[in-house]
Amino acid sequence: MDMIKKIPRKRLVFLFILSTVLISSIYFVYHNHAFYQDPIVQVTKVTIIDEQKVSDGQGNTDIIYTQAIEGKLKNSPQKDERVYLENEFSQSRVYHPEFQEGDDVFVTIDQVQEGDDLTGSIIDAKRDHYLLLVCWFFILVLIAVGRRQGLFAVISLVVNAVLLSLALDVYIATADITLLFIMSLVVIVMTALSLVLVSGLTHQTYAAIIATLIGTFSLLFITILVLAMTNAEGLRFEEMEFLTRPPEAVFMAGVLVGALGAVMDVAVTISSSLFSLYEKNHQISDHDLKQSGIEIGKDIMGTMTNILFFAYVSGTIPTLLIYFMNGAPLGFTLSLNLSLELTRALAGGIGIVLAIPIGLYTTIFFINRKRASV
Amino acid sequence: MNALVILTIILFSLMTLIGGKKGVRSFIALFINFLVLLITVLIMTDSNASPVVLTVIACALISAVTLFFINESNAKTKTAFVSTIITTVLLLLFIQFVTDRVMVQGFGDEEVEGLTIYSFYLGIDFLQVATSVVIMSTIGAVTDEAISISSPMFEIHRHHPTISMKALFQAGMRIGKDLLGTSANTLFFAFFGGYLALLVRYKDLSYTFGQIINSKVFSAQMITIFCAGIGVALIIPVTAAITSYVLVKKSPAHKSSKS
Repeated sequence: MDMIKKIPRKRLVFLFILSTVLISSIYFVYHNHAFYQDPIVQVTKVTIIDEQKVSDGQGNTDIIYTQAIEGKLKNSPQKDERVYLENEFSQSRVYHPEFQEGDDVFVTIDQVQEGDDLTGSIIDAKRDHYLLLVCWFFILVLIAVGRRQGLFAVISLVVNAVLLSLALDVYIATADITLLFIMSLVVIVMTALSLVLVSGLTHQTYAAIIATLIGTFSLLFITILVLAMTNAEGLRFEEMEFLTRPPEAVFMAGVLVGALGAVMDVAVTISSSLFSLYEKNHQISDHDLKQSGIEIGKDIMGTMTNILFFAYVSGTIPTLLIYFMNGAPLGFTLSLNLSLELTRALAGGIGIVLAIPIGLYTTIFFINRKRASV
Repeated sequence: MNALVILTIILFSLMTLIGGKKGVRSFIALFINFLVLLITVLIMTDSNASPVVLTVIACALISAVTLFFINESNAKTKTAFVSTIITTVLLLLFIQFVTDRVMVQGFGDEEVEGLTIYSFYLGIDFLQVATSVVIMSTIGAVTDEAISISSPMFEIHRHHPTISMKALFQAGMRIGKDLLGTSANTLFFAFFGGYLALLVRYKDLSYTFGQIINSKVFSAQMITIFCAGIGVALIIPVTAAITSYVLVKKSPAHKSSKS
């Protein structure tokens, strides 16, 4: 009892709500089969019935396994009936996964005569329950480590994701607005929201918001200018994945949104450290502030550009492997698969570096306003 | 002129102009890291090499370049380096487990379209490749946080040499918490920017909510976001613990104050 009394009431309420949501959401996702249209089968038994060695012209060898799967239907009119399925996967598992007992899979059920065993074919794995578990683990780790700031990071992720999704809805619903214009509006809202969540309504936050916006739009302007001047030579838009729209528009909007977080990070670092210098010594000169700001900028420029570089380029590793192992030449593979990612990383890098002087002057401007007001 | 070349020149000039010598070193580091990544992928094509082991080595090299070449080799960067490696390995075990359960290795239906002319039977474990993708996407952010936490902790210890290990650890945690929000945002937005085309596709082809969250590509990207978030959180206690241990247990100041 004493232990419980020591915990502040507010936190107790928070923990109670959190655990209720956690438990009920997990219960739901494990029992949501009725909400899906496609029949879902829970795997109860798997046996490997065939394995076959294959090799291709490049000397790559692999093994293709066929597994016989026995399972139970979890929804649809034939609920609880036994179903027999087959799945083919390779040892490298590039495309089809290997199923294990307890996995849920979406299937189509074959037409069979009355009394025969049900058979079907697999569409894909059901992943929502695992995804939810990882999501909760992510939320709990962030809250455990960062407490209030961890919670804010999660909230900011959710809010920004919802804002982006709404913006895309607007873009798709209205024919005559460009994606870049809508994204620019959302970027302004997201910047203000995220930075206020990080450091509250202070002069320091206003300086960071303005610096972020100037920095982000300058990088967008520079990138558009360069692409226009060079006719986007070297950029392989035709290699962009998942396309249903003109690639250039989607790409530029991606550049804008993608660099935003990094530019915000730089702007916040600069503005918060200059403001703390000012708090320590109200008489500090603009010159000294400038000097310290540049020093801080030099320290963060390298690591920040690195973050964006790896966040973008790492995603291409599987595709690069497929090309290389099929004997595609190095230069061809790189220019085909990396040109867009490298452009993103370079544009983001330009934004990061620009944010240093921009952040510096904006913050000094706000410090001087504060000076004048006291 | 090639657009990439011009953008590279602009970035290089800006880094030199604003960062001076350190800016030039930062640019060279970026280039070296690119080579490390490329060579790692080339070695991965050998089916005898384990992608996960290669990834750990590559991460160590990348983090070493970022810490020791851009900054310099000193006690601060060394503790940051050790913290990065420990976090990477911890994260790796977790991601490997998760990728296996969620089955997000390799390519999804939406991606296979463009690759049909290529053979998929390659004999390398794409489960491990998927793990390395997630780790590599996060390594930049993890390294950045490690140095941003360990460096001010050294300053605190310099000003208060008699500070206890617990107090120093707590100071490190406070610094880390302040960084958490912005570091997480940096990665989240980078991923959002990259996934924009996918989101537009889902909306254009009016996928149902159920189809989206169960699809391999979407799951893979959400897993990347979650694991990246866990990574930038995990590095905080690891760095705070290692730095406070090194400073209090191993430092000469502490020994002299004892004697």
